[in-house]
Amino acid sequence: MSPEIRFTFDGLSMTAGEDQSIAAALIENGILSWRTTRFGDRPRGLFCGIGVCFDCLVTVNGEPNVRACISAVEPADDVRTQVGDGHVE
Amino acid sequence: MAMSSRSPDATDVTVLGAGAAGVAAAVVAARSGCRVVVIDNGSVPGGQYFRGAATVTSSSVNSQPADLSYAALRIEFDRLVASGAIDYRARWTAYAASINDAEFVIRLRGDDRHRSEIDAVTSTALIVATGAFDRQLPFPGWDLPGVMSGGGAQSLAKGDDVVPGRRVVVAGTGPFLLAVSSTLLDHGASVPAIVEANHPARLMTQTSGLRGGLGKTGELVGYARQLARHRVPYLRRHRVIEAIGAGFLEAVRIARVDRDWRVVEGSERTVECDALAVGFGFVAQTDLAGQLGAAMTLGADGGLVIDVDADLATSVAGLFAAGETTGVGGVEAARVEGLLAGASVADYLGRPPALTSRGLRVVRRDIAMWQGFADALHTTFPVREGWREQVRDDTLVCRCEEVSAGQVREAIDDLGARDTRAVKLFTRAGMGWCQGRVCGSAVDSLCGFGTTQSLGGAATRPLAVPVPLGALANDQMEG
Repeated sequence: MSPEIRFTFDGLSMTAGEDQSIAAALIENGILSWRTTRFGDRPRGLFCGIGVCFDCLVTVNGEPNVRACISAVEPADDVRTQVGDGHVE
Repeated sequence: MAMSSRSPDATDVTVLGAGAAGVAAAVVAARSGCRVVVIDNGSVPGGQYFRGAATVTSSSVNSQPADLSYAALRIEFDRLVASGAIDYRARWTAYAASINDAEFVIRLRGDDRHRSEIDAVTSTALIVATGAFDRQLPFPGWDLPGVMSGGGAQSLAKGDDVVPGRRVVVAGTGPFLLAVSSTLLDHGASVPAIVEANHPARLMTQTSGLRGGLGKTGELVGYARQLARHRVPYLRRHRVIEAIGAGFLEAVRIARVDRDWRVVEGSERTVECDALAVGFGFVAQTDLAGQLGAAMTLGADGGLVIDVDADLATSVAGLFAAGETTGVGGVEAARVEGLLAGASVADYLGRPPALTSRGLRVVRRDIAMWQGFADALHTTFPVREGWREQVRDDTLVCRCEEVSAGQVREAIDDLGARDTRAVKLFTRAGMGWCQGRVCGSAVDSLCGFGTTQSLGGAATRPLAVPVPLGALANDQMEG
Protein backbone atom coordinates (compact mmCIF):
# COMPACT_ATOMS: atom_id res chain seq x y z
CA MET A 1 0.00 0.00 0.00
CA SER A 2 1.69 3.19 -1.15
CA PRO A 3 1.64 6.07 1.34
CA GLU A 4 -0.61 8.65 -0.25
CA ILE A 5 -2.56 10.34 2.50
CA ARG A 6 -1.08 12.81 4.97
CA PHE A 7 -2.58 13.16 8.40
CA THR A 8 -1.43 14.12 11.88
CA PHE A 9 -1.55 12.25 15.16
CA ASP A 10 -1.25 14.46 18.24
CA GLY A 11 0.35 17.03 15.94
CA LEU A 12 2.91 14.66 14.40
CA SER A 13 2.86 14.35 10.63
CA MET A 14 2.16 10.81 9.35
CA THR A 15 1.21 9.05 6.13
CA ALA A 16 -1.39 6.40 5.37
CA GLY A 17 -2.46 4.31 2.40
CA GLU A 18 -5.67 5.09 0.59
CA ASP A 19 -8.70 3.54 2.36
CA GLN A 20 -6.43 2.41 5.21
CA SER A 21 -8.10 2.33 8.61
CA ILE A 22 -6.95 4.85 11.19
CA ALA A 23 -5.85 1.95 13.44
CA ALA A 24 -3.74 0.36 10.70
CA ALA A 25 -2.18 3.70 9.80
CA LEU A 26 -1.28 4.42 13.44
CA ILE A 27 0.18 0.94 13.99
CA GLU A 28 2.22 1.24 10.81
CA ASN A 29 3.55 4.54 12.14
CA GLY A 30 4.58 2.82 15.39
CA ILE A 31 1.68 4.03 17.53
CA LEU A 32 0.11 1.22 19.56
CA SER A 33 -2.08 3.20 21.93
CA TRP A 34 -4.37 6.17 21.21
CA ARG A 35 -6.82 6.25 24.08
CA THR A 36 -6.67 6.35 27.86
CA THR A 37 -9.52 4.92 29.90
CA ARG A 38 -12.02 6.95 31.90
CA PHE A 39 -11.33 5.47 35.33
CA GLY A 40 -7.92 3.82 35.42
CA ASP A 41 -6.22 6.11 32.88
CA ARG A 42 -5.02 2.92 31.16
CA PRO A 43 -3.63 3.00 27.62
CA ARG A 44 -5.73 1.28 24.94
CA GLY A 45 -5.37 0.61 21.24
CA LEU A 46 -6.65 -1.93 18.75
CA PHE A 47 -8.44 -4.89 20.29
CA CYS A 48 -11.30 -6.56 18.40
CA GLY A 49 -10.36 -4.91 15.12
CA ILE A 50 -13.85 -5.30 13.62
CA GLY A 51 -15.92 -2.57 15.27
CA VAL A 52 -17.34 -4.60 18.14
CA CYS A 53 -15.40 -3.63 21.27
CA PHE A 54 -15.06 0.20 21.01
CA ASP A 55 -11.63 0.01 22.67
CA CYS A 56 -9.89 1.80 19.78
CA LEU A 57 -11.90 5.03 20.13
CA VAL A 58 -9.99 8.07 18.95
CA THR A 59 -10.72 11.76 18.43
CA VAL A 60 -10.75 12.85 14.78
CA ASN A 61 -11.03 16.52 13.77
CA GLY A 62 -12.42 17.31 17.22
CA GLU A 63 -15.02 14.53 17.11
CA PRO A 64 -14.43 11.93 19.86
CA ASN A 65 -15.48 8.25 19.90
CA VAL A 66 -14.51 7.31 16.35
CA ARG A 67 -13.67 3.60 16.05
CA ALA A 68 -10.17 3.63 14.56
CA CYS A 69 -10.45 0.03 13.34
CA ILE A 70 -13.36 0.58 10.95
CA SER A 71 -12.88 4.23 10.02
CA ALA A 72 -10.67 5.13 7.07
CA VAL A 73 -8.08 7.90 7.27
CA GLU A 74 -9.01 10.93 5.20
CA PRO A 75 -6.54 13.54 3.90
CA ALA A 76 -5.43 16.13 6.47
CA ASP A 77 -7.20 14.36 9.35
CA ASP A 78 -6.28 15.73 12.77
CA VAL A 79 -6.22 12.53 14.83
CA ARG A 80 -5.74 12.89 18.57
CA THR A 81 -5.40 10.61 21.57
CA GLN A 82 -8.79 10.33 23.24
CA VAL A 83 -8.65 10.94 26.97
CA GLY A 84 -11.55 9.32 28.83
CA ASP A 85 -14.85 9.94 27.08
CA GLY A 86 -13.17 12.49 24.83
CA HIS A 87 -15.09 15.48 26.10
CA VAL A 88 -12.92 18.28 27.48
CA GLU A 89 -13.62 18.75 31.15
CA MET B 1 -48.81 -13.10 0.39
CA ALA B 2 -51.22 -10.17 0.67
CA MET B 3 -49.85 -7.12 2.41
CA SER B 4 -52.77 -4.75 2.71
CA SER B 5 -51.03 -1.94 4.56
CA ARG B 6 -47.75 -2.20 2.70
CA SER B 7 -45.66 0.97 2.88
CA PRO B 8 -45.26 2.52 -0.56
CA ASP B 9 -41.46 2.52 -0.32
CA ALA B 10 -41.16 -0.92 1.31
CA THR B 11 -38.85 -3.42 -0.31
CA ASP B 12 -39.33 -7.20 -0.40
CA VAL B 13 -36.29 -8.32 1.57
CA THR B 14 -33.70 -6.63 3.73
CA VAL B 15 -30.48 -8.55 4.28
CA LEU B 16 -28.40 -7.52 7.30
CA GLY B 17 -24.75 -8.21 6.57
CA ALA B 18 -22.78 -8.64 3.34
CA GLY B 19 -20.51 -11.49 4.35
CA ALA B 20 -20.61 -14.89 2.69
CA ALA B 21 -24.14 -15.61 4.00
CA GLY B 22 -25.56 -12.19 3.17
CA VAL B 23 -24.12 -12.10 -0.35
CA ALA B 24 -25.43 -15.60 -1.12
CA ALA B 25 -28.87 -14.85 0.34
CA ALA B 26 -29.20 -11.57 -1.56
CA VAL B 27 -28.22 -13.15 -4.88
CA VAL B 28 -30.68 -16.05 -4.58
CA ALA B 29 -33.53 -13.78 -3.44
CA ALA B 30 -32.84 -11.35 -6.29
CA ARG B 31 -32.77 -14.23 -8.80
CA SER B 32 -36.34 -15.00 -7.73
CA GLY B 33 -37.33 -11.44 -8.53
CA CYS B 34 -37.33 -10.10 -4.97
CA ARG B 35 -36.31 -6.49 -4.51
CA VAL B 36 -33.41 -6.70 -2.05
CA VAL B 37 -31.72 -4.15 0.18
CA VAL B 38 -28.39 -5.20 1.72
CA ILE B 39 -27.06 -3.30 4.74
CA ASP B 40 -23.41 -3.65 5.71
CA ASN B 41 -21.04 -1.61 7.83
CA GLY B 42 -18.04 -2.54 5.68
CA SER B 43 -16.97 -0.63 2.60
CA VAL B 44 -16.89 -3.71 0.32
CA PRO B 45 -18.89 -6.96 0.40
CA GLY B 46 -17.23 -10.05 1.83
CA GLY B 47 -17.50 -9.66 5.59
CA GLN B 48 -14.64 -10.79 7.80
CA TYR B 49 -13.51 -13.81 5.81
CA PHE B 50 -13.24 -12.12 2.43
CA ARG B 51 -11.88 -8.89 3.84
CA GLY B 52 -9.35 -7.39 1.48
CA ALA B 53 -10.66 -9.49 -1.40
CA ALA B 54 -12.07 -6.28 -2.87
CA THR B 55 -11.73 -7.42 -6.47
CA VAL B 56 -12.72 -10.88 -7.56
CA THR B 57 -11.19 -12.02 -10.82
CA SER B 58 -13.73 -13.55 -13.15
CA SER B 59 -11.18 -15.58 -15.15
CA SER B 60 -11.24 -18.63 -12.91
CA VAL B 61 -14.96 -18.46 -12.26
CA ASN B 62 -17.61 -20.26 -14.21
CA SER B 63 -20.37 -17.65 -14.14
CA GLN B 64 -23.20 -20.11 -14.77
CA PRO B 65 -26.14 -19.98 -12.36
CA ALA B 66 -25.15 -23.48 -11.23
CA ASP B 67 -21.82 -22.15 -9.94
CA LEU B 68 -22.60 -21.28 -6.33
CA SER B 69 -19.01 -20.68 -5.18
CA TYR B 70 -18.46 -17.45 -3.27
CA ALA B 71 -16.41 -16.00 -6.14
CA ALA B 72 -19.25 -16.61 -8.62
CA LEU B 73 -21.86 -15.30 -6.20
CA ARG B 74 -19.81 -12.17 -5.58
CA ILE B 75 -19.57 -11.42 -9.31
CA GLU B 76 -23.31 -11.90 -9.64
CA PHE B 77 -23.88 -9.74 -6.55
CA ASP B 78 -21.90 -6.89 -8.16
CA ARG B 79 -23.92 -7.29 -11.38
CA LEU B 80 -27.22 -7.24 -9.49
CA VAL B 81 -26.09 -4.13 -7.62
CA ALA B 82 -25.13 -2.46 -10.91
CA SER B 83 -28.51 -3.33 -12.47
CA GLY B 84 -30.40 -2.01 -9.45
CA ALA B 85 -31.89 -5.38 -8.47
CA ILE B 86 -29.93 -5.22 -5.20
CA ASP B 87 -29.73 -1.95 -3.30
CA TYR B 88 -26.40 -2.35 -1.50
CA ARG B 89 -25.86 0.12 1.36
CA ALA B 90 -22.22 -0.05 2.36
CA ARG B 91 -20.95 1.77 5.47
CA TRP B 92 -24.36 1.80 7.14
CA THR B 93 -25.02 0.23 10.54
CA ALA B 94 -28.40 -1.18 11.54
CA TYR B 95 -28.92 0.05 15.09
CA ALA B 96 -32.51 -1.02 15.75
CA ALA B 97 -35.06 -3.44 14.32
CA SER B 98 -38.80 -3.46 14.89
CA ILE B 99 -42.04 -4.73 13.36
CA ASN B 100 -44.68 -2.25 12.31
CA ASP B 101 -47.93 -3.45 10.65
CA ALA B 102 -46.34 -6.79 9.74
CA GLU B 103 -43.38 -5.05 8.10
CA PHE B 104 -39.81 -5.00 9.32
CA VAL B 105 -38.35 -1.59 10.02
CA ILE B 106 -34.57 -1.40 10.20
CA ARG B 107 -33.14 1.85 11.49
CA LEU B 108 -29.76 2.81 10.10
CA ARG B 109 -26.95 5.04 11.21
CA GLY B 110 -24.01 6.25 9.14
CA ASP B 111 -20.48 5.11 9.98
CA ASP B 112 -18.56 6.69 12.86
CA ARG B 113 -17.52 9.64 10.74
CA HIS B 114 -21.12 10.23 9.61
CA ARG B 115 -23.00 9.01 12.66
CA SER B 116 -25.60 11.76 12.64
CA GLU B 117 -26.84 10.54 9.27
CA ILE B 118 -29.83 8.30 9.76
CA ASP B 119 -32.15 6.36 7.52
CA ALA B 120 -34.63 3.49 7.72
CA VAL B 121 -35.56 0.57 5.49
CA THR B 122 -38.94 -1.14 5.52
CA SER B 123 -39.41 -4.64 4.12
CA THR B 124 -41.80 -7.58 4.05
CA ALA B 125 -39.11 -10.10 4.99
CA LEU B 126 -35.75 -9.90 6.73
CA ILE B 127 -32.61 -12.05 6.69
CA VAL B 128 -30.17 -11.64 9.57
CA ALA B 129 -26.64 -12.54 8.46
CA THR B 130 -24.65 -10.43 10.89
CA GLY B 131 -21.83 -12.90 11.55
CA ALA B 132 -19.80 -13.33 14.70
CA PHE B 133 -16.84 -11.95 16.63
CA ASP B 134 -14.06 -13.55 18.69
CA ARG B 135 -14.96 -14.99 22.07
CA GLN B 136 -12.62 -13.66 24.76
CA LEU B 137 -11.63 -15.05 28.14
CA PRO B 138 -9.90 -12.52 30.40
CA PHE B 139 -6.41 -13.05 31.77
CA PRO B 140 -4.03 -10.72 33.62
CA GLY B 141 -2.73 -8.00 31.31
CA TRP B 142 -5.16 -8.62 28.45
CA ASP B 143 -5.93 -4.92 28.17
CA LEU B 144 -2.32 -4.01 27.33
CA PRO B 145 -2.00 -2.42 23.89
CA GLY B 146 -0.57 -5.10 21.63
CA VAL B 147 -3.00 -7.75 22.87
CA MET B 148 -5.80 -8.13 20.34
CA SER B 149 -8.34 -10.59 19.07
CA GLY B 150 -7.38 -13.16 16.45
CA GLY B 151 -10.02 -11.69 14.17
CA GLY B 152 -8.57 -8.24 14.73
CA ALA B 153 -5.06 -9.31 13.78
CA GLN B 154 -6.51 -11.14 10.78
CA SER B 155 -8.49 -8.14 9.54
CA LEU B 156 -5.57 -5.78 10.10
CA ALA B 157 -3.34 -7.98 7.92
CA LYS B 158 -5.94 -8.95 5.30
CA GLY B 159 -7.72 -5.62 5.07
CA ASP B 160 -4.91 -3.15 5.57
CA ASP B 161 -1.76 -5.17 4.86
CA VAL B 162 -0.38 -4.22 8.28
CA VAL B 163 0.84 -6.69 10.90
CA PRO B 164 0.34 -5.81 14.56
CA GLY B 165 3.98 -6.48 15.40
CA ARG B 166 7.17 -8.14 14.20
CA ARG B 167 6.66 -11.16 16.49
CA VAL B 168 3.06 -12.16 17.11
CA VAL B 169 2.11 -14.96 19.50
CA VAL B 170 -1.22 -16.53 18.50
CA ALA B 171 -3.23 -18.07 21.34
CA GLY B 172 -6.60 -19.40 22.44
CA THR B 173 -8.28 -22.39 20.91
CA GLY B 174 -9.58 -23.57 17.57
CA PRO B 175 -8.46 -24.04 13.97
CA PHE B 176 -8.84 -20.28 13.49
CA LEU B 177 -5.48 -19.89 15.30
CA LEU B 178 -3.86 -21.66 12.34
CA ALA B 179 -5.60 -19.37 9.85
CA VAL B 180 -4.51 -16.27 11.76
CA SER B 181 -0.92 -17.52 11.99
CA SER B 182 -0.90 -18.27 8.27
CA THR B 183 -2.14 -14.76 7.41
CA LEU B 184 0.43 -13.17 9.72
CA LEU B 185 3.26 -15.20 8.15
CA ASP B 186 2.01 -14.26 4.66
CA HIS B 187 2.21 -10.60 5.64
CA GLY B 188 5.77 -10.81 6.98
CA ALA B 189 5.36 -11.25 10.73
CA SER B 190 7.02 -14.06 12.63
CA VAL B 191 4.98 -16.28 14.96
CA PRO B 192 7.08 -17.32 18.00
CA ALA B 193 4.37 -19.80 19.05
CA ILE B 194 0.80 -20.90 18.57
CA VAL B 195 -0.58 -21.52 22.05
CA GLU B 196 -3.55 -23.92 21.78
CA ALA B 197 -5.35 -24.76 25.02
CA ASN B 198 -6.91 -27.97 23.70
CA HIS B 199 -5.26 -31.04 22.19
CA PRO B 200 -6.65 -31.48 18.68
CA ALA B 201 -4.91 -34.78 17.90
CA ARG B 202 -8.20 -36.52 17.23
CA LEU B 203 -9.53 -33.95 14.80
CA MET B 204 -8.59 -35.80 11.64
CA THR B 205 -10.10 -39.11 12.71
CA GLN B 206 -13.27 -37.43 13.95
CA THR B 207 -13.82 -35.62 10.72
CA SER B 208 -12.51 -38.09 8.17
CA GLY B 209 -15.98 -39.54 7.76
CA LEU B 210 -17.36 -36.21 6.68
CA ARG B 211 -17.05 -36.10 2.94
CA GLY B 212 -17.00 -32.34 2.31
CA GLY B 213 -15.24 -31.60 5.56
CA LEU B 214 -12.22 -33.05 3.86
CA GLY B 215 -11.93 -29.80 1.90
CA LYS B 216 -11.66 -27.96 5.18
CA THR B 217 -9.28 -30.59 6.53
CA GLY B 218 -7.21 -29.98 3.39
CA GLU B 219 -7.10 -26.30 4.27
CA LEU B 220 -5.85 -27.24 7.75
CA VAL B 221 -3.18 -29.49 6.25
CA GLY B 222 -2.08 -26.55 4.10
CA TYR B 223 -1.71 -24.40 7.21
CA ALA B 224 0.19 -27.19 9.00
CA ARG B 225 2.70 -27.40 6.13
CA GLN B 226 3.24 -23.64 6.10
CA LEU B 227 3.69 -23.54 9.88
CA ALA B 228 6.19 -26.41 9.71
CA ARG B 229 8.12 -24.62 6.97
CA HIS B 230 8.36 -21.53 9.16
CA ARG B 231 9.18 -23.73 12.19
CA VAL B 232 6.31 -22.29 14.21
CA PRO B 233 5.89 -24.28 17.44
CA TYR B 234 2.29 -25.50 17.86
CA LEU B 235 2.03 -25.79 21.64
CA ARG B 236 -1.02 -27.87 22.49
CA ARG B 237 -2.45 -27.90 26.02
CA HIS B 238 -0.80 -24.54 26.64
CA ARG B 239 -2.29 -21.22 27.61
CA VAL B 240 -1.19 -17.63 27.85
CA ILE B 241 -1.59 -16.89 31.55
CA GLU B 242 -0.38 -13.29 31.57
CA ALA B 243 0.47 -10.45 29.21
CA ILE B 244 3.46 -8.44 30.41
CA GLY B 245 4.70 -4.98 29.52
CA ALA B 246 5.01 -1.37 30.64
CA GLY B 247 2.45 0.55 28.61
CA PHE B 248 2.45 -1.98 25.77
CA LEU B 249 2.95 -5.71 25.34
CA GLU B 250 6.55 -6.95 25.63
CA ALA B 251 6.12 -10.63 26.47
CA VAL B 252 3.60 -13.27 27.43
CA ARG B 253 3.78 -15.85 30.19
CA ILE B 254 2.67 -19.21 28.94
CA ALA B 255 2.14 -22.47 30.79
CA ARG B 256 1.24 -26.06 30.11
CA VAL B 257 -2.31 -26.93 31.17
CA ASP B 258 -4.17 -30.14 31.88
CA ARG B 259 -7.27 -31.33 30.06
CA ASP B 260 -9.42 -28.87 32.01
CA TRP B 261 -7.03 -25.98 31.30
CA ARG B 262 -5.58 -25.91 34.83
CA VAL B 263 -1.97 -24.75 34.87
CA VAL B 264 0.67 -27.43 35.43
CA GLU B 265 2.79 -25.92 38.17
CA GLY B 266 6.40 -25.25 37.25
CA SER B 267 5.68 -25.23 33.51
CA GLU B 268 5.43 -21.44 33.23
CA ARG B 269 7.81 -19.64 30.90
CA THR B 270 8.14 -16.28 29.16
CA VAL B 271 7.94 -15.70 25.40
CA GLU B 272 8.98 -12.29 24.11
CA CYS B 273 6.70 -10.77 21.50
CA ASP B 274 5.32 -7.48 20.18
CA ALA B 275 1.72 -8.59 19.82
CA LEU B 276 -0.64 -11.31 20.95
CA ALA B 277 -3.59 -12.42 18.80
CA VAL B 278 -6.03 -14.30 21.01
CA GLY B 279 -9.47 -15.86 20.70
CA PHE B 280 -11.51 -18.81 21.97
CA GLY B 281 -13.97 -19.44 19.17
CA PHE B 282 -16.69 -16.99 18.22
CA VAL B 283 -19.83 -15.34 19.53
CA ALA B 284 -22.76 -14.86 17.12
CA GLN B 285 -24.18 -11.34 16.60
CA THR B 286 -27.77 -11.99 17.56
CA ASP B 287 -28.97 -8.68 18.97
CA LEU B 288 -31.06 -7.37 16.03
CA ALA B 289 -32.96 -10.68 15.81
CA GLY B 290 -33.33 -10.49 19.59
CA GLN B 291 -34.90 -7.04 19.30
CA LEU B 292 -37.54 -8.60 17.04
CA GLY B 293 -38.34 -11.27 19.62
CA ALA B 294 -36.75 -14.19 17.77
CA ALA B 295 -36.28 -17.27 19.94
CA MET B 296 -32.68 -18.12 20.80
CA THR B 297 -30.98 -21.38 21.60
CA LEU B 298 -27.52 -22.67 22.48
CA GLY B 299 -25.13 -23.61 19.69
CA ALA B 300 -22.82 -26.63 19.74
CA ASP B 301 -20.14 -24.38 21.28
CA GLY B 302 -22.45 -23.34 24.15
CA GLY B 303 -22.92 -19.83 22.79
CA LEU B 304 -26.19 -18.04 22.13
CA VAL B 305 -27.48 -18.45 18.54
CA ILE B 306 -30.75 -17.72 16.73
CA ASP B 307 -33.14 -20.69 16.77
CA VAL B 308 -34.08 -21.66 13.20
CA ASP B 309 -35.99 -24.49 11.53
CA ALA B 310 -34.80 -26.59 8.58
CA ASP B 311 -35.64 -23.70 6.20
CA LEU B 312 -33.73 -21.18 8.38
CA ALA B 313 -36.98 -19.51 9.43
CA THR B 314 -36.91 -18.06 12.96
CA SER B 315 -39.81 -18.02 15.43
CA VAL B 316 -40.88 -14.66 13.92
CA ALA B 317 -42.88 -14.85 10.66
CA GLY B 318 -40.88 -13.46 7.74
CA LEU B 319 -37.61 -13.36 9.71
CA PHE B 320 -34.83 -15.69 8.56
CA ALA B 321 -31.25 -16.13 9.78
CA ALA B 322 -28.14 -17.49 8.09
CA GLY B 323 -24.46 -18.01 8.73
CA GLU B 324 -22.72 -17.70 12.08
CA THR B 325 -25.89 -16.27 13.70
CA THR B 326 -27.50 -19.74 13.61
CA GLY B 327 -24.39 -21.53 14.91
CA VAL B 328 -20.72 -20.82 14.39
CA GLY B 329 -19.66 -23.01 11.47
CA GLY B 330 -17.27 -21.07 9.25
CA VAL B 331 -17.42 -19.45 5.86
CA GLU B 332 -18.57 -22.45 3.79
CA ALA B 333 -21.46 -23.16 6.15
CA ALA B 334 -22.35 -19.46 6.00
CA ARG B 335 -22.41 -19.47 2.20
CA VAL B 336 -24.71 -22.49 1.86
CA GLU B 337 -26.99 -21.23 4.62
CA GLY B 338 -27.19 -17.93 2.76
CA LEU B 339 -28.29 -19.80 -0.36
CA LEU B 340 -31.03 -21.59 1.58
CA ALA B 341 -32.18 -18.41 3.36
CA GLY B 342 -32.49 -16.65 -0.01
CA ALA B 343 -34.56 -19.55 -1.37
CA SER B 344 -36.73 -19.70 1.77
CA VAL B 345 -37.43 -15.98 1.70
CA ALA B 346 -38.48 -16.16 -1.98
CA ASP B 347 -40.81 -19.02 -1.13
CA TYR B 348 -42.22 -17.06 1.80
CA LEU B 349 -42.95 -14.15 -0.56
CA GLY B 350 -44.53 -16.48 -3.12
CA ARG B 351 -41.85 -15.97 -5.75
CA PRO B 352 -40.68 -18.63 -8.20
CA PRO B 353 -37.72 -20.68 -6.94
CA ALA B 354 -34.28 -19.61 -8.16
CA LEU B 355 -32.60 -22.90 -7.32
CA THR B 356 -33.62 -26.17 -8.93
CA SER B 357 -35.02 -28.78 -6.57
CA ARG B 358 -31.83 -30.74 -7.13
CA GLY B 359 -29.78 -27.61 -6.38
CA LEU B 360 -31.73 -27.08 -3.19
CA ARG B 361 -31.19 -30.70 -2.16
CA VAL B 362 -27.44 -30.22 -2.59
CA VAL B 363 -27.58 -27.04 -0.50
CA ARG B 364 -29.46 -28.80 2.30
CA ARG B 365 -27.04 -31.73 2.19
CA ASP B 366 -24.07 -29.33 2.35
CA ILE B 367 -25.59 -27.50 5.31
CA ALA B 368 -25.96 -30.80 7.19
CA MET B 369 -22.41 -31.75 6.28
CA TRP B 370 -20.90 -28.44 7.46
CA GLN B 371 -22.99 -28.61 10.60
CA GLY B 372 -21.49 -32.01 11.33
CA PHE B 373 -18.04 -30.65 10.68
CA ALA B 374 -18.65 -27.66 12.96
CA ASP B 375 -19.95 -29.97 15.71
CA ALA B 376 -16.76 -32.04 15.45
CA LEU B 377 -14.68 -28.86 15.73
CA HIS B 378 -16.59 -27.67 18.78
CA THR B 379 -16.12 -31.10 20.41
CA THR B 380 -12.38 -30.85 19.75
CA PHE B 381 -11.98 -27.20 20.79
CA PRO B 382 -14.28 -26.58 23.78
CA VAL B 383 -13.73 -23.95 26.46
CA ARG B 384 -12.76 -25.77 29.66
CA GLU B 385 -13.60 -24.55 33.15
CA GLY B 386 -10.01 -24.24 34.31
CA TRP B 387 -9.60 -20.94 32.45
CA ARG B 388 -11.20 -19.21 35.42
CA GLU B 389 -8.36 -20.16 37.75
CA GLN B 390 -5.96 -17.82 35.96
CA VAL B 391 -8.33 -14.95 36.55
CA ARG B 392 -7.09 -13.11 39.65
CA ASP B 393 -9.34 -10.81 41.63
CA ASP B 394 -7.59 -7.80 40.12
CA THR B 395 -7.89 -9.14 36.55
CA LEU B 396 -9.98 -6.86 34.37
CA VAL B 397 -13.14 -8.53 33.08
CA CYS B 398 -15.18 -5.70 31.55
CA ARG B 399 -12.82 -3.57 29.47
CA CYS B 400 -15.34 -0.76 28.89
CA GLU B 401 -16.36 -0.12 32.49
CA GLU B 402 -13.05 -1.37 33.94
CA VAL B 403 -14.67 -3.96 36.22
CA SER B 404 -12.42 -6.58 37.83
CA ALA B 405 -13.07 -10.28 38.34
CA GLY B 406 -13.05 -9.59 42.09
CA GLN B 407 -16.00 -7.26 41.71
CA VAL B 408 -17.89 -9.83 39.64
CA ARG B 409 -17.16 -12.55 42.22
CA GLU B 410 -18.26 -10.22 45.01
CA ALA B 411 -21.58 -9.60 43.21
CA ILE B 412 -22.18 -13.36 43.10
CA ASP B 413 -20.80 -14.43 46.49
CA ASP B 414 -21.69 -11.46 48.70
CA LEU B 415 -24.48 -9.60 46.93
CA GLY B 416 -26.41 -12.65 45.77
CA ALA B 417 -26.45 -11.99 42.03
CA ARG B 418 -28.02 -15.03 40.38
CA ASP B 419 -28.02 -13.97 36.74
CA THR B 420 -25.88 -11.89 34.39
CA ARG B 421 -28.37 -9.05 34.53
CA ALA B 422 -27.94 -8.76 38.31
CA VAL B 423 -24.16 -8.92 37.95
CA LYS B 424 -24.38 -6.15 35.37
CA LEU B 425 -26.46 -3.92 37.61
CA PHE B 426 -24.23 -4.48 40.66
CA THR B 427 -20.89 -4.09 38.91
CA ARG B 428 -21.53 -2.29 35.56
CA ALA B 429 -19.85 -5.23 33.78
CA GLY B 430 -21.40 -5.20 30.31
CA MET B 431 -22.89 -1.72 30.59
CA GLY B 432 -20.26 0.09 28.55
CA TRP B 433 -19.77 0.94 24.88
CA CYS B 434 -19.62 -2.66 23.65
CA GLN B 435 -22.74 -3.59 25.68
CA GLY B 436 -21.26 -6.82 26.98
CA ARG B 437 -20.23 -8.25 23.62
CA VAL B 438 -16.62 -8.71 24.76
CA CYS B 439 -17.13 -9.70 28.42
CA GLY B 440 -20.57 -11.34 28.15
CA SER B 441 -19.40 -14.92 27.65
CA ALA B 442 -16.74 -14.59 30.34
CA VAL B 443 -19.04 -13.06 32.94
CA ASP B 444 -21.60 -15.77 32.26
CA SER B 445 -18.95 -18.45 32.63
CA LEU B 446 -17.55 -16.90 35.83
CA CYS B 447 -21.11 -17.03 37.19
CA GLY B 448 -21.52 -20.62 36.00
CA PHE B 449 -24.83 -20.05 34.19
CA GLY B 450 -24.49 -21.00 30.52
CA THR B 451 -28.21 -20.99 29.75
CA THR B 452 -30.15 -19.46 26.85
CA GLN B 453 -31.93 -17.22 29.33
CA SER B 454 -28.77 -15.97 30.99
CA LEU B 455 -26.78 -15.44 27.78
CA GLY B 456 -29.86 -13.99 26.09
CA GLY B 457 -30.38 -11.51 28.91
CA ALA B 458 -26.80 -10.32 28.56
CA ALA B 459 -27.18 -10.03 24.77
CA THR B 460 -30.32 -7.87 24.88
CA ARG B 461 -29.47 -4.48 23.41
CA PRO B 462 -32.14 -1.87 22.63
CA LEU B 463 -29.63 -0.11 20.36
CA ALA B 464 -27.06 -2.24 18.55
CA VAL B 465 -24.66 0.72 18.35
CA PRO B 466 -24.68 4.09 20.11
CA VAL B 467 -26.67 6.73 18.23
CA PRO B 468 -26.32 10.49 18.86
CA LEU B 469 -29.33 11.88 20.74
CA GLY B 470 -30.00 14.49 18.05
CA ALA B 471 -30.10 11.81 15.35
CA LEU B 472 -32.45 9.68 17.45
CA ALA B 473 -34.77 12.67 18.02
CA ASN B 474 -34.92 13.38 14.28
CA ASP B 475 -35.52 9.69 13.66
CA GLN B 476 -38.51 9.59 15.99
CA MET B 477 -40.01 12.73 14.47
CA GLU B 478 -39.71 11.32 10.98
CA GLY B 479 -41.27 8.21 12.45
